[in-house]
Amino acid sequence: MYSIKDKIENILMKVAKPARYTGGEINSIIKNTKDFKIRFAFAFPDIYEIGMSHLGMKILYYLINERSDTYCERVFAPWVDMENMMRECDIPLFTLETKTPLKEMDIIGFTLQYELSYTNILNMLNLSGIPIRRIERDFSPLIIAGGPCGYNPAPLSDVVDLFVIGEGEEVINEILDLYADWKDRGFNKEKFLKEATKIQGVYVPSFYKEEYNEDGTVKGIFPLVEGVPSVIKKRIVKNLDKSYFPAKQIVPYINIVHDRIMLEVFRGCTRGCRFCQAGMIYRPVREKSREGLLELADKLIKTTGYEEISLTSLSTCDYSKIEELIHDLIEKYKERGIGIALPSTRIDAFSVNLLKEIQKVRKTGLTLAPEAGTQRLRDVINKGVSEEDLLNSTKEAFKAGWNTVKLYFMIGLPTETMEDVAGIAYLAHKVADVYKEVRGNTKNLKITVSTSTFVPKPFTPFQWFGQEKIDLIIEKQNLLKNMLKGKIFRYSFHEPHISFLEAVISKGDRRVGQAIVKAWEKGCKFDSWRDYFKFDVWMDAFEEEGINPYFYANKERDFYETFPWDIIDCGVKKDYLIREYNKAMEGKLTNDCRLNCTGCGIKELDKGVVCFEAKK
Amino acid sequence: MKLRNRFMKADNLRFISHLDLMRVIERAMRRGDIKFSLSKGFNPHPLISFGPALMLGATTHGDYFDVIIEDNLSPQEFKDRMNAVLPEGIYILDSYEVGEKDLLSQHVKEAEYIVKARLFGELKEIQNKIEAFMSKDKIIIKKETKKGKKDIDLKPYILNFKYISTDEGWILLYIKLTIAEGSPGPLYVINAFNKFIGDKIDTETYRLDRKDLILD
Ligand code: SF4
Repeated sequence: MYSIKDKIENILMKVAKPARYTGGEINSIIKNTKDFKIRFAFAFPDIYEIGMSHLGMKILYYLINERSDTYCERVFAPWVDMENMMRECDIPLFTLETKTPLKEMDIIGFTLQYELSYTNILNMLNLSGIPIRRIERDFSPLIIAGGPCGYNPAPLSDVVDLFVIGEGEEVINEILDLYADWKDRGFNKEKFLKEATKIQGVYVPSFYKEEYNEDGTVKGIFPLVEGVPSVIKKRIVKNLDKSYFPAKQIVPYINIVHDRIMLEVFRGCTRGCRFCQAGMIYRPVREKSREGLLELADKLIKTTGYEEISLTSLSTCDYSKIEELIHDLIEKYKERGIGIALPSTRIDAFSVNLLKEIQKVRKTGLTLAPEAGTQRLRDVINKGVSEEDLLNSTKEAFKAGWNTVKLYFMIGLPTETMEDVAGIAYLAHKVADVYKEVRGNTKNLKITVSTSTFVPKPFTPFQWFGQEKIDLIIEKQNLLKNMLKGKIFRYSFHEPHISFLEAVISKGDRRVGQAIVKAWEKGCKFDSWRDYFKFDVWMDAFEEEGINPYFYANKERDFYETFPWDIIDCGVKKDYLIREYNKAMEGKLTNDCRLNCTGCGIKELDKGVVCFEAKK
Repeated sequence: MKLRNRFMKADNLRFISHLDLMRVIERAMRRGDIKFSLSKGFNPHPLISFGPALMLGATTHGDYFDVIIEDNLSPQEFKDRMNAVLPEGIYILDSYEVGEKDLLSQHVKEAEYIVKARLFGELKEIQNKIEAFMSKDKIIIKKETKKGKKDIDLKPYILNFKYISTDEGWILLYIKLTIAEGSPGPLYVINAFNKFIGDKIDTETYRLDRKDLILD
């Protein structure tokens, strides 16, 4: 008889990148499995290299493992070759740490980072021998989910037992305490879930019913049982400096997407870009102290040995002491070849001097995100960056020796015209002119222009908009392709059909959830991977479920309409979002709320919620 | 100061490539608070060099890497500090100082391998069969090169090939090969031998261990 470990050993030689499935990395946690009351699997519904790059997992993994009654292990979606081998050899999905089948876990916690990973969740459950639909499951394992996409829990409501809305590190221990308690008393699924609803930030979909109007819109989400909250308030960490942050991070053997120390400098964003969901749901801004960060950086270097620290947040250059922080870190570590990276930062008018400093240790790219091609449209989306700023910073950068630039834009934004799209190409050409002015020619210059397609997201001022039709998006992409010819430019863009699906699910209700299950049954998975995305199959699935996907993706919505996500209170109030919507239509800017509060409502979420602005 | 280190890499670590291993060592040195020299240029990396690459999936009990460090550590101290922070499955067996100009690649001459494989059914008189195989004048195989497939003679590269034991359906074989530019690895020997005996070895499940690299 082969054990599961032997079986895994035997197939690993036959798959690409076997180290994805072996575990045993530095700082991964091995405990004796018999000693624990709760076995928890932290599940990331994408491949190892993507999941391991995710900060939330790094935090929660250690936080949960601090508990003496719980063992938290990791699991990722196996790549297609591995999945095929596993199915062929009857190997159920297993945890990396101890190779325990997922079915033996008490709780499986999925993190919802992007909607296009939902079919992977279904696939992972199925690969574990766990029924997809919650009504077909007994109590164990309990399937929970959290993360940004959980702010619209509707599409996964028939799959997930319990959603965590808001910041996991704030809630998870309360849920685990309750779980441990119930495990002592003997389980009753209903009762456990009922009690869990008393924890702020917990949403149990089975206690609610979604009803519809005749025109297909949502009438409301109504409680089915007494005593459950009618609105679920998100949970936030009030003091990020004092909240849990591990002094260790797992160091993978193979290259992952972000293979470096991730040092979170603050959470939230004050800029108020009107398309940006993260900028709204992660409010308020909470900074960590510089001293705390330096201390943490030191510990993390000692425990991981990494050669690079990335300062992460939604817009790192907004950190109030950013220059000092970078300066300190560089001074401390340059001798040892440890570099600083600002990965998620789209350097707007960011001081090129700082970049020069960073560059001394390790080469970094120059990335700018004007998001839209004309000033008019940048005002609509509230991207407070001017062409002048942009050209000035590239000029400085070219003088300092850079010769590659990446420019990020979005197409299909509300009110966008062909002129706005052409503006993207003009801007790229102007950057090339600046280079020529500085260097005399455009030899060696490389400008990459990337466009993504606007997807209207819940809890943003643009949530009422429909996504632009696929044909028009393709037309816009073609325009850019034609305008960005020549050796200097490289144009890359998102597959519009994939963005369309993202829009359908983002704004989806429970009915869309049925279609997701159907699409998976028909073989869809890894939908964000161009090679695996099957648009026709998805369209068949929608049809079979009697769902019109265009209704979800493209239809403009009324302010009075109820959204499936209205059951969630993310703190930012609807009237603020409407105000921002109206200002967008007038092309009026809203200032960065660090300058003065623009009244988004987050302060009323809870006692003790303090914004950056109020602290000063 | 240049240190030459003989190391073993086993268990799950056999699935990591040479490039991955370089990062593992670099990060271990940082955790072990060892100051190492860095290359110049935009993306500084430690000055580590390895012996001949090992195929993915193979273990080793006698590979080498050279590293230049700036600390004045004794080789013993280097070894101890590293072993305290290296992940399970990799271990430095021996460490000694060599001249800065001394290149590892110029010393590697031979390599010994143990191959463990499953047999289809029984195989009798293995040693005799090996001898018959080895007594051929030429052992021509097709080798993949950058320019496509090429016929080469394996025979001159095989210094020793013998049967060790059988155990619960697994067979153990010993192979010693010359290492030179472009020389074929042990799997070529096993595959050629397997063909010679009429496909008795399950080449899907074999495990390969580099028992030792022999330096002059
Ligand atoms: S309450 Fe005011 S300061 Fe706080 S996040 Fe909202 S707009 Fe900004």
